[in-house]
Amino acid sequence: MAQKNVVVTMNQAPYGSIYYTEGLRAAVGVTSGVDENKVAVVYLGDGAYFTILGVDRKDTDRYIGTLRKQGSRLVVERESLKEKGIKEREVAPEFEIVSRKEVFELINGADFVIDF
Amino acid sequence: MGNLYLVNKSYGENGLKLAKLDKEAQVVLIQDGVYVDARRFLGSKVKVYAVRDDVLKRGLTDRIANDVEFIDYNELVDLIVGNKVINFA
Repeated sequence: MAQKNVVVTMNQAPYGSIYYTEGLRAAVGVTSGVDENKVAVVYLGDGAYFTILGVDRKDTDRYIGTLRKQGSRLVVERESLKEKGIKEREVAPEFEIVSRKEVFELINGADFVIDF
Repeated sequence: MGNLYLVNKSYGENGLKLAKLDKEAQVVLIQDGVYVDARRFLGSKVKVYAVRDDVLKRGLTDRIANDVEFIDYNELVDLIVGNKVINFA
């Protein structure tokens, strides 16, 4: 099995459900194993709330650290930030702010897209 | 083989906004996704389907945007197998 290109979309706000951690756990899972698949985690819509500086990340820091160590991109969609009234300076440094067009290109170029 | 966006209600909007950028997008409104307003695609090249069963049992037959095509589960499976699924459902 060759290395695959995977995008995990994160569409839900933190703490209201388990998806905000499960998605990150799945992303870590995708990168592990022999094939070392490439993964990008993309925060959309309500998912953008997770990228705010003040969010308590004690239960997700491990996953984020692992993903970043492996060069996985963690991005948030600029238009989603705007729609949720989140200023770019309020976004935590671990997250790269990209345009919806770039999100589409990531998704279009992926072998698999998984949503949480 | 294009991108097939499966859309439900809770965060389907995230998918619809991306589908607008995708010239070959096909969109399927599924389950509560049939409540989502698909008029934005009227006159565009994006093909929008809705699962007939989900529309009928919610009594929405005359509330769905006109050029949305109703499909049954066999047609849905064909679409899923024949395309790259981008799931927002």
